[in-house]
Amino acid sequence: MKHSSTPVNQPGMRAQKEGTRCTQGLVLSGRQWILVIMSLCLTMWVIPIGWQGLETFDPEESYRIPYAASRDYWLYERYVNQPHDEPTVYFVGDSVVWGEYVSKEGTWTHWLNDHSQGEPRFVNLALNGLYPLALEGLLEHYAKELHHAQVLLHCNLLWMSSPQADLSDPKEQVFNHPMLVPQWEPQLPSYHATIETRLSRLVGNHWSWLAWIRHLQIHYWDQKDPYQWTLMDDGRYPPTYPNHRSFPWQAIDWQLEQEPSPDPDRGLESPRHKPWSELGEGTQRYDWVPLSQSLQWAAFQRICQRMAHRDNALMVIIGPFNQHMLHPDHRPTFKAYEQEIIQWFRDQGIAHLAPPTLPSHQYGDASHPLQPGYRMLAQQLWEAPDFQQWIKPLKR
Amino acid sequence: MLFHTWTFCVFFLVVLCGHAWMGSGRLRLPWLLLASYVFYGWWNPFYLALIFYSTLLDYWIVAWMDQCHQGNWPENRSGGWRAFLFLHLKNRGLNQALWCGRLLLIGATCGLSLGPSSLRALATLMCLLGFTMIWAATRQDRRSWLWASMLNNLSLLFYFKYADFFIENANFLMDRLGLGYQWPPAASWMPLGMEYMLPVGISFYTFQSMSYTLDFYRGQLGREHSFLRFATYVSFFPQLVAGPIERASSLLPQLARPKKLQAKAFAEGSSIFLVGLFKKLALANYLSFYVERVYEMPETQAAPALAMATVAFAWQIYFDFSGYTDMARGIARIMGYELMLNFNHPYLATSLGDFWARWHISLSTWFRDYVYIPLGGNRKGPILGATYLLITFLASAIWHGAAWTFVIWGLMHAVGTLFNRLLERQKWFQEKVPTMLRRILVFGFVCLAWIFFRAESVADAWLILSKLVQGNWQDPQIPWLMVALILAVWSYQWVQQSPWRAWTQTGPFKVCAVIIMLLWLCFFSSSGGAFIYFQF
Repeated sequence: MKHSSTPVNQPGMRAQKEGTRCTQGLVLSGRQWILVIMSLCLTMWVIPIGWQGLETFDPEESYRIPYAASRDYWLYERYVNQPHDEPTVYFVGDSVVWGEYVSKEGTWTHWLNDHSQGEPRFVNLALNGLYPLALEGLLEHYAKELHHAQVLLHCNLLWMSSPQADLSDPKEQVFNHPMLVPQWEPQLPSYHATIETRLSRLVGNHWSWLAWIRHLQIHYWDQKDPYQWTLMDDGRYPPTYPNHRSFPWQAIDWQLEQEPSPDPDRGLESPRHKPWSELGEGTQRYDWVPLSQSLQWAAFQRICQRMAHRDNALMVIIGPFNQHMLHPDHRPTFKAYEQEIIQWFRDQGIAHLAPPTLPSHQYGDASHPLQPGYRMLAQQLWEAPDFQQWIKPLKR
Repeated sequence: MLFHTWTFCVFFLVVLCGHAWMGSGRLRLPWLLLASYVFYGWWNPFYLALIFYSTLLDYWIVAWMDQCHQGNWPENRSGGWRAFLFLHLKNRGLNQALWCGRLLLIGATCGLSLGPSSLRALATLMCLLGFTMIWAATRQDRRSWLWASMLNNLSLLFYFKYADFFIENANFLMDRLGLGYQWPPAASWMPLGMEYMLPVGISFYTFQSMSYTLDFYRGQLGREHSFLRFATYVSFFPQLVAGPIERASSLLPQLARPKKLQAKAFAEGSSIFLVGLFKKLALANYLSFYVERVYEMPETQAAPALAMATVAFAWQIYFDFSGYTDMARGIARIMGYELMLNFNHPYLATSLGDFWARWHISLSTWFRDYVYIPLGGNRKGPILGATYLLITFLASAIWHGAAWTFVIWGLMHAVGTLFNRLLERQKWFQEKVPTMLRRILVFGFVCLAWIFFRAESVADAWLILSKLVQGNWQDPQIPWLMVALILAVWSYQWVQQSPWRAWTQTGPFKVCAVIIMLLWLCFFSSSGGAFIYFQF
């Protein structure tokens, strides 16, 4: 092929010469790049480890990851890896285990600890809004150390109660913990993120350094990146910018985000802590997703298998779903649905318990008990022979 | 697909592997072209039609231009309409062009008169192309083909970039004159109900493509026979959407040479890319938050905030645009291609002329080589020289966008440059004014002009100027971190042009600087933010 674009007397060449004459000066050689990469790897490995020594984290018995730190998966990992002197049962689940309407002194794990007197110790490893598809990601990336352990896993049927909750509805939804859901496979019809978002979430999950940076943002920079933090306004009009004279590192006080005390949204004194019947919503009809098609149920099954592969002693607690809230016509459907789930656990040989439905006034909504409900659930669980058999190896 | 996204990261890894594998083979150029079209089509696949049209047009026009000096000077050059319709040329290539033009003209005229109104823009464009092709083929001279290229390229640019501005102003004028006619908006001309939007980078690749035709016309470049190579030159993805506007004489020979992935080029390219990435993510995006806050509602701001935001904008646009071109140059370098430097510490300029020799160098030299010098440059006396300079700056301003704010910005720079030239001829200015003061004066003037560039409207710009003059004191509430960053970069650039430069060129300094930049990016990089120059 003939090529005859031979320069004769081109202005382009003049421009080119003018253009390449100067550079910004920061040009590294291959060896220098290798040095940079090695130094960076070392820094990224050492700093988060060193950070754990500097930042005090000593969770008490009824500790749970604060609501404001729900996205802090680095802290979650640190919490999972926390050594315990006494035999420990990890209770994993969503806001039902976490305690949506109750303070940390009113949760399921708190009452279990009350019964056990710390032998064994029940650790609340739940996160707010953690549905099975997200829990699967959490266990894969941030709870790798959860093996050879005694694990209680909560199964909340609410996540299968509609195509929307199941994320199988093709209409786009905004939901919690999008970072933890499978980004490509299995496909979630409700998840319409761009390729860029999915890729960045994928990278974020595989690079713990980024999780540590998110940890700093959550605890020290008001859930923002440090630049945004310096530009943050006070929400008034005309606005003022309280942090504009501060440098981000000045905000690091080594104090982790704590639950507010008293919490206006949770606990016996909170206006949210009241029976569902007082909300005036009445009974509901649910469009249960068939188990064979449910994405959440498939994820839950995979979680059980993953737990078994990690040699955990697993026990699944099913519900109890607020059946008082179900429309009477729908109760038989629900019963059959629940039985199908129980049958699967039976078939797989997975230890499980399905506590009976609590009294109506002990529910705050379709799935979350109120404080007395948790207390009763803990008692029922503690007194169940199967449960006692399951925790027997942990008792001294 | 932006350079600082993970999507681009995956895309580039695939392209680089393919490019390295095909380095000296025949598939390298098709691979690069495919990659460039995927990169461009990622924004909007319809854009591909435009870039392909522009490429095809200049490739064929240069081919026909090439036929014009082969001795078959016109048999019937002034035959009027009869020649226009019935002329047969002996030269096969030009005869083909003539018949193509006739067919296009007939087809487009039918489309215009019989087709739906949504095809008006397309049919008009085809009419223009057909007509210019017939006209140039019958005249059989290179100049006519050059005009054909310019007209067709610029009409496309005009439609997408300036039509709305023109229609808006024309309608305003017609309304004032009491004429009862209003032109419909440009969007109503879009074919087949497509969305009317500015195709990303159209000004860049149109100018790049035109430079090839212009250089060939002036005999400064031979014809590129390979369409594949020419198409790759026009659409080369690292510099496709925001420059640098490369010259055919520089890039085409590079595309012709086989390439190997070399460690040295990889290391250099990665360094240049990192600097660009840092400028964009760690600096430009941060500054943009403050600038937006202040410029969004200038009426509520006091003088200090407006002044600080203007300075911040000066740095934002520099970091944003030079960051993009650094990344482009880095990517190209990794693959083994050299793109020209587009920015050379412009805010250290000691005169406005010097500023334009350091700012957007590829565009400044484009206008110098294809507008200012062909007009006559400074060879025809001071008055005409000043006029040509004014015309060049106006053209450059309009290139940036269709708005009166850009026109005023260009005028300010033209007048400022002329005044600066006069000053520089004064002995007292040469002897008494220190370099640092000159730099500050130039920076101050450039910032003043940026007000018009950044403001939403002329009224906003005037408001900002008047508020700056009134000078009410109020805490600008600019983050100190932002100020510290600007000062740090300015100092670094100053050191780069001082005798201490050698100190910054030592290995330990460079390694430490890169580690700090990478760590800073991890902590501070702000998400999102398209590049400012994409809109041009």
